Amino acid sequence: MDVIQALEQALNKNCILSSEEACRPYECDGLSAYRQKPLAVALPENAEQVKQVLKICKAHNTPVITRGSGTGLAGGTLPLKNSVVLGLSKLNKILEIDPLQRTAIVQPGVRNIQVSDAAAKYGLYYAPDPSSQVACSIGGNVAENSGGVHCLKYGLTVHNVTSLTVLDMDGEIIRFDEKDDGLDLLALLNGSEGLLGVIIEIKLKLIPKPEAAQLVMAAFKSVKACADAVTSVLKQGIVPAGLEMMDKFSIQAAEDFAQVGYPLEAAALLLCEVDGSHDQVKVDAQRVADILTQNGAYEIRVSQNEKERNELWQGRKNAFPAVGRYSPDYYCMDGTIPRSKLAYVLEEIDKLSEKYGLKVANVFHAGDGNLHPLILYDANKPGELKLTEQFGQEILKLCVDVGGTITGEHGVGVEKLDSMCHQYPEAELEIFHGIKNVFDDSGLLNPGKAVPTLHRCAELGHMHVHNNQLPHPELERF
Amino acid sequence: MSLQSSISHYSDQIKQAVIDKQLLQIAGNQSKVPIYEDAQILSIADHTGIVSYDPAELVVTVKAGTRLADLSAALAENNQMLGFEPPEYGDSTIGGTYACALTGPSRPFRGGLRDFVLGTQLIDGQGREMRFGGKMLKNVAGYDVSRMLCGSKGSLALVTELSFKVLPLQEEKTYCIPMPEGEAILLMNKMQGTSLPLTGCAYFEGRFYYRVAGEHPAQDNRVEVSICTNDIWKTLNPFQPQLAPDEKLWRLDVESTNPSIENTIAVGMGGTRRWVASKNKPNHPYVTLWQSRFAPRNNDKPCVQRIKKGLKEVFDPHHIFKDL
Repeated sequence: MDVIQALEQALNKNCILSSEEACRPYECDGLSAYRQKPLAVALPENAEQVKQVLKICKAHNTPVITRGSGTGLAGGTLPLKNSVVLGLSKLNKILEIDPLQRTAIVQPGVRNIQVSDAAAKYGLYYAPDPSSQVACSIGGNVAENSGGVHCLKYGLTVHNVTSLTVLDMDGEIIRFDEKDDGLDLLALLNGSEGLLGVIIEIKLKLIPKPEAAQLVMAAFKSVKACADAVTSVLKQGIVPAGLEMMDKFSIQAAEDFAQVGYPLEAAALLLCEVDGSHDQVKVDAQRVADILTQNGAYEIRVSQNEKERNELWQGRKNAFPAVGRYSPDYYCMDGTIPRSKLAYVLEEIDKLSEKYGLKVANVFHAGDGNLHPLILYDANKPGELKLTEQFGQEILKLCVDVGGTITGEHGVGVEKLDSMCHQYPEAELEIFHGIKNVFDDSGLLNPGKAVPTLHRCAELGHMHVHNNQLPHPELERF
Repeated sequence: MSLQSSISHYSDQIKQAVIDKQLLQIAGNQSKVPIYEDAQILSIADHTGIVSYDPAELVVTVKAGTRLADLSAALAENNQMLGFEPPEYGDSTIGGTYACALTGPSRPFRGGLRDFVLGTQLIDGQGREMRFGGKMLKNVAGYDVSRMLCGSKGSLALVTELSFKVLPLQEEKTYCIPMPEGEAILLMNKMQGTSLPLTGCAYFEGRFYYRVAGEHPAQDNRVEVSICTNDIWKTLNPFQPQLAPDEKLWRLDVESTNPSIENTIAVGMGGTRRWVASKNKPNHPYVTLWQSRFAPRNNDKPCVQRIKKGLKEVFDPHHIFKDL
């Protein structure tokens, strides 16, 4: 009996997809440049079935790629040819909301926004809000340690998860809780990209909705002035709930798309939101406006009500699709840098843009230095995707070189395996492989993702790219 | 001694211990954990100082032996602080605080120590120098080793340097109301569900205490509410009560709404921490004997024990670092 037959026998037949057509939607996640049809897709309806899938796959030595909504942007759920995709979308129940304790117990397939919707009647919400929150699942959020616009103040997923129940490759249940003693294994599971266990239940922290929020929009004549102004806000003791920056190209694209009244002649636009109690917000919004004016903002707008606040956000929130209208395809990068290096890094990206002949729009989380350069390209032009990827990798190398990292919130997946060789030396990568081996000695959970093999890094010469040519271009690198 | 030379000095010491099969106990200023005779001390106490600190980045990087008091003073000069409100046992170091995962009363509101850790430099049990995480607020490249080691009590690696997110200093006010414990637990949970900017909720000696930061509505318009000094939070953090000769101090981690537990002498961290003084161990899943302050609980399930043993092999294959 092969693995598909075994799965069909153990689960309802309609829980197993194996035809070419049925598997097609699972051949990629949000990073559609990489595609691979799996052997089969298993869609279990409960934790017991998840356990059965794992046991069967283990018995057949078949890799398992766990997947939620498939909104990941780094190819973290790209299937392997001989793998089974374990889709957890049917485990989509909110099991409990405890308003007094301010917690929610949910299954991994629950969408991020559903938690806040369900908690709203108690005046509570779940703080981490990735831009894909309408679609992305909580299980995937944990696997990628997702962030969002508000994470400077309210933290990433890891800060808002208090307990996890996972299954290991043998189907054994393991519970990790913030109350556990010794090593913080709960933290280790967050952001582990599906390599250490299959998450089947999550306990989340809920927090009270802020009484009030105000958005300050400020326009600057230079990127440097804008970056310096951000620095001043943070230095003066204000931690904004959201702090977003857009470059000239993004401002134009967003305004063209959403018509919210962004100043088109600005070189950089800052959106700074403060939230909290009515009293605090009133004080903070005024202080932010004053600080930004003192630091060279030539136009300031402060939202006076919820309608205005939402309208001002619309441009930023639609920036990606807005930029996308200028080109058949775009490639969204995700690196983080120390904020003090912002102006330098943007200049360097401009130079790279000229070198590659590809336009770039910059939208980023200015509070935490998380950049999202969007590289515009046309996948139908031969070689342009490859060029775009090279450009992207050079941006990530630049981030590491100024003391930053290759991924702030999207994860490594298959996309940034080569960049990992630039960020981490051999000993660290060895430790990562050791950790993987402790949790999954069969190596069947999402193999080949997140942590590159030492062999791969050696071949890549730690990302030394000479004359735009990778060494050994004939080698398969996903 | 330059940073690099002292790091290689530690690394050499560890490599020598591997050769000599010598057990090492990592120690800072020895304010928390007793020194055990079966191990040689690997002292991190002289490895002190701030490596980098840019207040506008909200990040500080500090050597592990740095005294908490020195670090807090340097941050305060820029109107900033460690957001996890670490307890001061007298000359406590930041490294020891991290190793023991010690956090103050603001944990439910601002987060615990692990929530502020961004990166570490360490030397593993083979004497290899490594860095994990970084100095950025957001970083998801690779497994989060820096957070994982929080609470490892020096059993896996010598952590030599730490990067933390810092927060602006805020003005805080403490209020208190006399009431029975059960009522206080209920009230503190209800209050935590409101938008009042709380940074502390505790119960001690017949009074419910709560601390509020920044601008907030007047609290003392009800007769029973009075303004207190902020000293209560120092009394509770670190909590070192006088006990009867036959009593022991137990630290319990519970859900915030857990009803009163017998022999409780203080409730902290928004209801999630209970301090019990009793002869016998309270019957509860998350209990630590706080007499020898950092005794391990050793009540992990077999699968978790297996994982912890496995990680020990990864970081310290020759078992050079003492398990505490």
